[in-house]
Amino acid sequence: MTRLLGKQPVGALFVAPYVIFLAAVFAFPLGFAVYMSFHDYFFAAPGAIVDRPFVGFANYAAVLSDAAVRQSFVNIAVFLVINVPLTVALSLVLATALNKAVRARTFFRVSYYVPYITASVAVVGVWLFLFNSNGLVNAILGPLAPDPSWLVNETLAMPTVAIYVTWKQLGFFILLYLAALQNVPKELYESAAVDGAGRFGTFWAVTMPGVRPATTLVVLLATVTGANLFTEPYLLTGGGGPDGASTSPVLLMYQRGIEQGNPDVASAIGVILVVGALLVALIQRRLLERD
Amino acid sequence: MRRILAAAVAIAALASTVACGNNGGEATSEANQARGPIKVWFSNNKEEVAWGKQFVESWNADHPNEKVTAQEIPAGKSSEEVIGAAITAGNAPCLIFNTAPAAVPQFQKQGGLVALDDFEGARQYVEERTGEKAKQYESPDGKLYQLTWKSNPVMIFYNKALLKKAGADEANLGTYEDFLATARKIVSSKAAPFAIWPAPSNEFYQPWFDFYPLFAAETGGKLLVEDGKAQFTDDAGKAVADFWSSLYKEKLASQEKYNGDAFADGKAAMTIAGPWAIASYGDKVDWGVVPVPTKTAKPAEEIFTFSDAKNIAMFSACANRATAWDVLKAATSKEQDGKLLETTGQMPMRQGLPAAYPDYFAKNKPYETFAAQADRTVEVPNVANSIEIWQAFRDAYSKSVIFGQQEPAAALDEAATKIDGLAKQ
Amino acid sequence: MRTASKPIRVLQFVALLLGAVLFLFPFYYMIVGSLQAEPESSPAGAFPDPGNITFGNYREIHGAIDLVSSLINSGIFTGGVILGTITLGLLAGYALARLEFRGRGAVFNTMLLIQIVPFQLLTVPLYVLIVRDYGLADSYLGMILPFAINSTAVFVFRQYFLQLPRELFEAAHIDGANEVQILLRIAVPLVKPALLTAVLLTFIGPWNEFLWPFLITKEADMQPLAVSLANYISNVSSRAANPFGAILAGSCVLAAPAVALFVALQRHFVSTNLGSSVKG
Repeated sequence: MTRLLGKQPVGALFVAPYVIFLAAVFAFPLGFAVYMSFHDYFFAAPGAIVDRPFVGFANYAAVLSDAAVRQSFVNIAVFLVINVPLTVALSLVLATALNKAVRARTFFRVSYYVPYITASVAVVGVWLFLFNSNGLVNAILGPLAPDPSWLVNETLAMPTVAIYVTWKQLGFFILLYLAALQNVPKELYESAAVDGAGRFGTFWAVTMPGVRPATTLVVLLATVTGANLFTEPYLLTGGGGPDGASTSPVLLMYQRGIEQGNPDVASAIGVILVVGALLVALIQRRLLERD
Repeated sequence: MRRILAAAVAIAALASTVACGNNGGEATSEANQARGPIKVWFSNNKEEVAWGKQFVESWNADHPNEKVTAQEIPAGKSSEEVIGAAITAGNAPCLIFNTAPAAVPQFQKQGGLVALDDFEGARQYVEERTGEKAKQYESPDGKLYQLTWKSNPVMIFYNKALLKKAGADEANLGTYEDFLATARKIVSSKAAPFAIWPAPSNEFYQPWFDFYPLFAAETGGKLLVEDGKAQFTDDAGKAVADFWSSLYKEKLASQEKYNGDAFADGKAAMTIAGPWAIASYGDKVDWGVVPVPTKTAKPAEEIFTFSDAKNIAMFSACANRATAWDVLKAATSKEQDGKLLETTGQMPMRQGLPAAYPDYFAKNKPYETFAAQADRTVEVPNVANSIEIWQAFRDAYSKSVIFGQQEPAAALDEAATKIDGLAKQ
Repeated sequence: MRTASKPIRVLQFVALLLGAVLFLFPFYYMIVGSLQAEPESSPAGAFPDPGNITFGNYREIHGAIDLVSSLINSGIFTGGVILGTITLGLLAGYALARLEFRGRGAVFNTMLLIQIVPFQLLTVPLYVLIVRDYGLADSYLGMILPFAINSTAVFVFRQYFLQLPRELFEAAHIDGANEVQILLRIAVPLVKPALLTAVLLTFIGPWNEFLWPFLITKEADMQPLAVSLANYISNVSSRAANPFGAILAGSCVLAAPAVALFVALQRHFVSTNLGSSVKG
């Protein structure tokens, strides 16, 4: 019985509503997307008689031979390499600092959280203003300002987007770490102090291992957010400009699938993206959850 | 990983059974005869909503058994998305008073539209109303899926004060050479940071407000694609691309997107816009308006431009199509067209517009120029893969003309090859 | 906890302050911009100019949108999502972290998969499913359904339950408590900060969501605030006296309730009693 159902079969009961929810809402569209990617598919009105033949891997071949698609995956890699480590480091350090009894703690927390809760349209507007050629950032940098400016510069566009996203999401990750820090037993800090560990020693030996599940979470969520990047290149760099230097796979999916009416091609991009991100996520999980 | 795979296979199997379960066609002829209440969607732009409200009220007062219910859809980018989803789900309304001609081929392919030819006298009605231009709205299968409604022919607006400050002559914008000379004066005198500021971003519809109007003017009314072939690789297309390329190269136009309206804010001395803009520039800017420039001088009454039209389409989810057709005709009557013109300032697509509403144009002089221009407009080509074609064009244009990574002529040739392939499908 | 020496504390404070300024500046600029009568895009525009201040942008919003009914709709939409996540999501998160049962790995991996799948891939099929097969067009349920249990929150719950020491649960089992009791009496109180974090995280999604509720509801009186504001923004942006200001004002209106909620809840993010309760 234990072998068949596991040690605590009541767990299956606990997750049942969630599983039903996933099945009712996600399984069908997801399976449908996979189905579409193997057909010459487009959305049609109910009752319309249309021909949508099976085409095997043709959509995948088309997608993989498309230079724009390949570039979008490279762009995402650049994004992740900048965004994920920066997010983890900054949010952990800031959360640790905020967790101590500093003056004006409420004020600090609120300020770090505000970008996360504000709608993208407005925040993007302000960033455009800050980072354009004559913006405040370039005015401060003076002769050091890049030319062409940040968001229309082929090399700098993607890093700027990555930094923007780090900034926008950081509050959320700080919160995750703050909550995790509550669960690190104080005794560990006390004994570290007794052992004469310095500030960095304590951080390294107590805080970091203590919040490891949260770190796994932060790394995974940051990776997922990066893989699903859409709004920022859509709004911040005018649809993935300059010349595709900040296009993301999801932006291409939107263009091909929804704007141009080729959901089959979009689904193929989506499936490749999901498989790729899943592999990255599983590797990360292996590395981070190893006991 | 194996578990995920197993789950994925199960899910795919489930989906494929559902996907194949499409049932056959409906009795369309029955729907074409049916009468009863219908739903319509308007664009959410304030003036159009006001016009729509009065129309629906007057219709409903006369037709208690065929009531119209109106809702708003966004005027912005996502409206095609919403319509596409509604077609697929089968809950599209009967009529949408904001159908972009560029999206019509896609909606048609989806089986979402009703051919207006199914109704008696429809073809004649449209041709009488719009004249020669109506031909541009015919679909490749020879049918008409949209009723020509209103256009916003785009022209060059200029800021009189800024031109004066730059010491430039406002009449001197007719040829590329003159336009460039004026633009240089504007920027070098620091009257405005840029001479003109079209959105340099990568959306498929942006060419309608930089390349395409000038291309229409230069070619005397050619479409981007005709007879399944891209038309822009000739001398005219290359001249237009070179013209814009010079503006970007000399930093007379910005490679960066402006957050807001650069013309209204005095950041650019010129802009390309349709008559809808008059209401918003009205008291903010002292403006004048001229046709778009051409390579060598042409008289204004020979210059074509892009129409930026919005039409009315009937959707196949509609059950009471006979009522919908009557509503369509009533909404585009001479009286309602006049009210549309009055409330929105947009140009109903009728022949001889200035003569049809002399009182209005006498009172609203600025609109008269646009009404005259409305007779010479080109539409986006009504071909399959329309939006994909525009995106391919924009990608090449952005790379070469805006960002100077490639020779414009070479980029246009490459885009033409790709577009020819797309148009053939 | 040791208290740091004074110079280090001051340094820390200054660093935090600089960071906060960096984070707050764009937001501050938003508020200043939303109050401008004329758009001022030069660096000087970052400072409020008494001659250029107006509440016109806000007044216009108030006139164009039925704020009360929009807020009620937002409340129902967001509330439904939070309720679903807190009850059913919490159960799932706990089971995934603490209970061994057949299929746990599969559920966890599916959850991961759902996280990774971009919503743009699913929008249209999901819309067809919910409208055509479930018949939920123009209803709150249709609006809520795709978000009903926030998978990220389930994930967050799982990670925090994982972090709790194993001994705690073993002791409870020995005392003869059943799983529901353990969850409600031991696990949930201990992860209260995480719970609140998840509530806020769950709150932000539906609160700012525009496309889905818009697709589902065409009637203006069903639309949540984010939809009415987006509509307003696309409407006025070309016509208002200060389009940029109108956009910023709209965003401030949308952000204000979220900020208020955060300020109200923020002191609960830290619990001080954990150290002692874990000792046992």
